[in-house]
Parts: sequence; structure tokens; C-alpha cells
Amino acid sequence: MAGAGPMMPSSGGRRSLDAEINLVPFIDLLSVCICFLLMTAVWIQLSTVQVKQSHGTEAGPAGNYELDLRFGGPTSVEMALKKQGKTVKKASFQSAEFNQLMASLDTQLTAWLSPISAPNAASPVTAAMVSPKAGVTYGNLVSAMDVLRKHQIVNLGVVPIGEGK
Amino acid sequence: MSIVSNTLKPGVFEHHLVGRGKGGPGKRSMLSGLMLTPMVDMFSLLVIFLLQAFSTSPELLVMVKGVTLPSASTGKEIKDAPVLAVAPAGIFLDQKDMGSAEEVLKDPTLLLKKLGELRKLWLKGNPGEAFPGEITLQAHREIPSTLISQLMAILPSAHYGSIQLAVISGG
Repeated sequence: MAGAGPMMPSSGGRRSLDAEINLVPFIDLLSVCICFLLMTAVWIQLSTVQVKQSHGTEAGPAGNYELDLRFGGPTSVEMALKKQGKTVKKASFQSAEFNQLMASLDTQLTAWLSPISAPNAASPVTAAMVSPKAGVTYGNLVSAMDVLRKHQIVNLGVVPIGEGK
Repeated sequence: MSIVSNTLKPGVFEHHLVGRGKGGPGKRSMLSGLMLTPMVDMFSLLVIFLLQAFSTSPELLVMVKGVTLPSASTGKEIKDAPVLAVAPAGIFLDQKDMGSAEEVLKDPTLLLKKLGELRKLWLKGNPGEAFPGEITLQAHREIPSTLISQLMAILPSAHYGSIQLAVISGG
């Protein structure tokens, strides 16, 4: 089979520099390596989205602008940009699909933030409060937060709202 | 320099294999040769890829049964913190059952007591350091967001104000 022993010494009694590898144990070793690595591999990468609850802790909204995101349901959302507590801009979105809703939110955020953002600087909106609604799942809530974080809005909070509201 | 011998010597191995598959004239042999060079190449590439994907970091998050995490593309690395799992079956703090969501929201005394114990344990292990108040929330993606928001409102009263929502990376 595919394998080999040491090369015959060349003339003059000098040993050859060439060496051969036994393929059978080599392939065995590779197979064992692959099996071990396949079994120990972690295919799902987990991470976290940080939320600072402003109710009851010192973590409060910071920066010039604040964002208020209110779910009206799983397919509708209202967004308000506030400066020192006063609403500067307001928009509401409605879409048959949640992904489209998030795309609209993303587009609107880009339109709002581009004129007020300084180049190579952090987002002027450093705090956002997200208000959930009955019928909106936790997955939807995280998706909305993910959109906000894409726009460098990292200080996020969730408004505690009961199931009936 | 010859490192790997990848040729099958005719008359020794190949002949032995082909000999068994002999049929009549014109019949195709049932046996086929194995190209060792591409096979070893493929194995080596697989090993390199898997070694690169291999992670030695400890698993900080033990998944509770029935929990499917939401996905997000802006997630950060998981920190070592107590894990509050919200599953359809109930609420678990570090794998310990705290009761159903309704029970916890109605009377969060047990949850707050256990969180207080964990905080005391942390302060005992890290004397002189400020408590970071970090907690990892591992919730099923189909759980109502209102339930999660109510649970999140309870946590700051036990000095856990920095909540990490566990997600699957890439969305």
C-alpha cells in the first residue's frame, strides 16, 4: 500500500536528505483530527445586546438627542427624535412584514441622523427608549434594538409596559 | 524532494483490486482508484479550517430547553454574569427554577432574594470593588415583549441595571 521506508543510502555512504511519510498513519491522524474538531466545533456564535434600564438606576439618557421608539403592534411603529425633552421630528411606519418595517426604520434613521451627525464622530443620539406593545414578540424588540445599534445608538432602555397595554 | 509517495505500484495493489473485478471483455470494472494527493489536500484544508474555527473560550451561556434566541448583528461578547432564562416553561436563574412568568411578576420576592444572594456572593469574592450589576437575559424569541419589559423593570431594584440580552450573532 501507499507507504514507504527510508530511502536507500546514496553512493559514498552519505545518507539521503529525502524522507518519505507513511500515508496510512498520516491519513489516520488527519481523520482523527477532523473528527475531534468537528465534534468540538461551536457553530452558533452567541453574543449580547446591552440594555441599561434607566428606571431605578443611575444610567440615564445622555447626549443632545434622545430617540423614542414606540411599537403600535407587530407591524407598526412610531419614532420621535427629541432634543432636551422636546420632539424635533416624528414619523410612523406601517408594513405588512416586520422586516420591511425594520428596513423603513433604518432608512428613516439614516435620513434623520445624517444632517446632525459630525463626520467621524459618535452618533448625536446616544439614548433611546423602546416601548413594547402587546402582540410584539421579544424577537421583534431585539430586532428594533439592533437597528438602533447599527446607527451607533448604544444607550438603550426598555419601557416597562404591561401585557394589557 | 519527494515527501509523500502517492503512486500505487502496478502489479502489487492495483492489480490485486482490479483482479477481483474482472468481468468479461468490454465490461467496466466495478473498482475505482483513490487519488491520494487531492484527498490529503482536502483533509489538510479541513483540519486548517476547523482549527481556525476552534474556540478555547469557555461556554458562558448554558441554553435552557425550549429557548430559541433572537438574532442580532451588533451583539458584543458575552460577559460572565448570572443568567436569567425566560422559557415558555418558566423562569430560571442560573438553571434554578423560579416559577412561571406570571408567578414571578405577581410576587418577585424569590427572584429578588436569589439575585441578592448572588450579589452578596460577588461582593464577598471581589472586596472593595463596585458591583457591575450585570445580568444576562436569555429569553425565547416568541415570548411577549411586554413580559420581558416587566421583568427587566424588576431587575434594577436588585442592583442589576446592566442587562445583556443574549442573541445569536448575525441577523
